[in-house]
Amino acid sequence: MSSMEEREIELLIGPQHPASGHMRLVAKVDGDVVVELRPNIGYVHRSVEKLAEVKKYLQIIPLVERPSLADTTANNLAYVMAVEKLLGIDPPERAKYLRTLLAEINRIHSHLYGLGIHGVMIGSSTAYMWCFGDREPFLELAQELTGARLTYSYIIPGGVRRDLPAGFGERAERVLRYMENRMKDYFDLYFNNPVVRARLEGVGVLSRDDAIRLGVTGPNLRASGVAYDVRRAEPYAAYPELEFDVVTEQAGDSFARVMVRVREIVESMRIIRQVLRKIPEGPILHENYEKLIPPKLREEMKRRGMVKFPSVFANLRVPAGEAISRVEGGRGEVVFHIVSDGKLSPYRMRMVTPSFRNVILFEHLTRGVRVADIPAIYGSLDYFPPEADR
Amino acid sequence: MTLMYPDEVQDLPDGYRGMIEYDWDSCIKCSLCAMVCPADAMKMYVSKEESEREGKTVKRPGINYTRCIFCGFCVDICPTDSLRFTKVHDVAYYTYEEQIYPPVEFSKGVPKPFYFREPKRVRVILDERRGIKYEPVGES
Ligand code: SF4
Ligand code: SF4
Repeated sequence: MSSMEEREIELLIGPQHPASGHMRLVAKVDGDVVVELRPNIGYVHRSVEKLAEVKKYLQIIPLVERPSLADTTANNLAYVMAVEKLLGIDPPERAKYLRTLLAEINRIHSHLYGLGIHGVMIGSSTAYMWCFGDREPFLELAQELTGARLTYSYIIPGGVRRDLPAGFGERAERVLRYMENRMKDYFDLYFNNPVVRARLEGVGVLSRDDAIRLGVTGPNLRASGVAYDVRRAEPYAAYPELEFDVVTEQAGDSFARVMVRVREIVESMRIIRQVLRKIPEGPILHENYEKLIPPKLREEMKRRGMVKFPSVFANLRVPAGEAISRVEGGRGEVVFHIVSDGKLSPYRMRMVTPSFRNVILFEHLTRGVRVADIPAIYGSLDYFPPEADR
Repeated sequence: MTLMYPDEVQDLPDGYRGMIEYDWDSCIKCSLCAMVCPADAMKMYVSKEESEREGKTVKRPGINYTRCIFCGFCVDICPTDSLRFTKVHDVAYYTYEEQIYPPVEFSKGVPKPFYFREPKRVRVILDERRGIKYEPVGES
């Protein structure tokens, strides 16, 4: 044994909540310098993919939402888009706008969640409280729209389940104005705080080339200067008709990753405003399905703005084939691959979640950093353990 | 921001996906609700009395709240609106079995949440300056 090896000790970090959930980091340290850090991702939502093989198509919607509770819409949308590809249908325009609306509300929620957790990891419980408190108005909006706080199951093949409630636009506008004002406080207290900057700037730098090579996705990729966003690269829902910027930062350090999220919140608010202004009138469920609903029920459903499922949804048959869909979730790209053999359940379903692709960064970014930098880097990755393990 | 639950209880928006009400009379026993349920919470039970009377197997839905994930698919697929959302979500039980409602019990409506004191009902107001504000509402 060399003298170098004798100096290294193994340090087990976590699992603890709220910082890491069930995830544990196994660090090898020399003094307080990290020699090697291996994430032990733990297990929560195992077998979502396997379980999907015995569930019917509609029943998989709540299932795929589970791995990623802060960002359920992205999974819901990506899954339904793949099913729609197999069914060969395209949802009506209004439904597309509503999908976009919920996706963006969810993105803000997801980013605030990530920023809050990051705050508490580097010791700012104020940032944590603020971010978590400010998710609340957005959750209220989502709840008004869908009837649930987190697991919306809002997007269904051929459309969405609910129409905009009366007065939604006005209430949303108030929330957006609140959040805009609030941003100033965030900068004063947190992002421009010298302590926060010292802990984040230049820490955990991910170069542009490495980001691409490692297959990193989402805000973590954009913070390294790569302007890749599925909403632009392969537009879906109402995104082709909306104006928004793909936020990038050049530094690639922890601060840049945090900043990308903050700036994306602003972009999302811009998108929400446009959606509410431009949303077209019309049905929210594809006509193929709408016409299967008995006429009386259809009238009632239009009056209430709540979709009734046609009875075929109980045993939705999807033509044989394969489909892949991609969606930009809060933490990055969500990919679904469904293989259908024409039966009631998918023959095989595969989902690729952003955290699964980003988890690799733990090992990559922490080599040679100080132990105190681990939480700063961890938090900046917005890594969501259950999402990696599905 | 903080709600002093259970002294204060939030009034929920219309369409909130809470516990489910079942209307015995309008149900056409089509089983769609049980077929669509992702969590196997909704199940069809043989209704003994009705089966004997009609001389064939009659089945009606019952719900198991230990499994229900409140996705609301059963409500949305019910062609006769026999199933409806309520805004009740905060009910506690002493035993596991109490949470399983066979059809007859299911049709009796959702349990009333128990509070030691009658709670103050508040409504969420989305506010430009405060984000969320709670405003008292009258008895509902
Ligand atoms: S709400 Fe969902 S989980 Fe609950 S009984 Fe209905 S379909 Fe099943
Ligand atoms: S409750 Fe509704 S969906 Fe269920 S069996 Fe009765 S009519 Fe059919």
